[in-house]
Amino acid sequence: MSDAVRLQLEDFSQDEEVRALRASSQRMGGIATFLGCARDFSEGRDVREISFDAYRPMALAELQKLRTEAIARFALLDARIVHRLGTVRAGDNIVFIAAGAEHRAPALEACRWMIDELKERVPIWKKEITPTGESWVTPHP
Amino acid sequence: MIKVLFFGPVADRVGLRQIEVPFHDGQCWQDVRNVLQSQYPEAFALVSVTAVNGERVRDDGRTPLADGAEIVFMSRFSGG
Repeated sequence: MSDAVRLQLEDFSQDEEVRALRASSQRMGGIATFLGCARDFSEGRDVREISFDAYRPMALAELQKLRTEAIARFALLDARIVHRLGTVRAGDNIVFIAAGAEHRAPALEACRWMIDELKERVPIWKKEITPTGESWVTPHP
Repeated sequence: MIKVLFFGPVADRVGLRQIEVPFHDGQCWQDVRNVLQSQYPEAFALVSVTAVNGERVRDDGRTPLADGAEIVFMSRFSGG
């Protein structure tokens, strides 16, 4: 089975991630997921591709800490986080987060918390590649 | 030596992804920042997060470094 937290160039399968999450416990009554995708339009411009840069050792360590904290904070039964690096095309998957709990409320809250924390804490930067040039993305709230 | 890494928009403005700075006793990350900031002011205008040896630092930058330390000066993150 793949690691619960990964940084990878290749695409991921949501089905496989959810299957892995469910395999960790039959007590799971609620699973919430977040899928982040590459938009083809941003700040008034067409976007062809998004390129990611990361301080990989710290990014992976922060993602692992984030998962551990989420499990403790929301009493999750399990959680998984996968983030792609390299270059993705408009419409491609970027990040997948899944949280499994006994009930839906903590799963939903944990999922939202993890993506918000990821954006604040994990050293990854994205650059939008448009027909007229490239620019680093300014973080959004 | 102290290894200094740059990523994303900061690396673009510095024009490099890695620099080595000579180590001296008592040196702290703020000393390294002061030197590099004067050389790359446009890049350091973006810097809001510093990591030493893979850990985000929240001190005043006065903790002495060890020889071989790795420092990363980073702009705000935009993953996800």
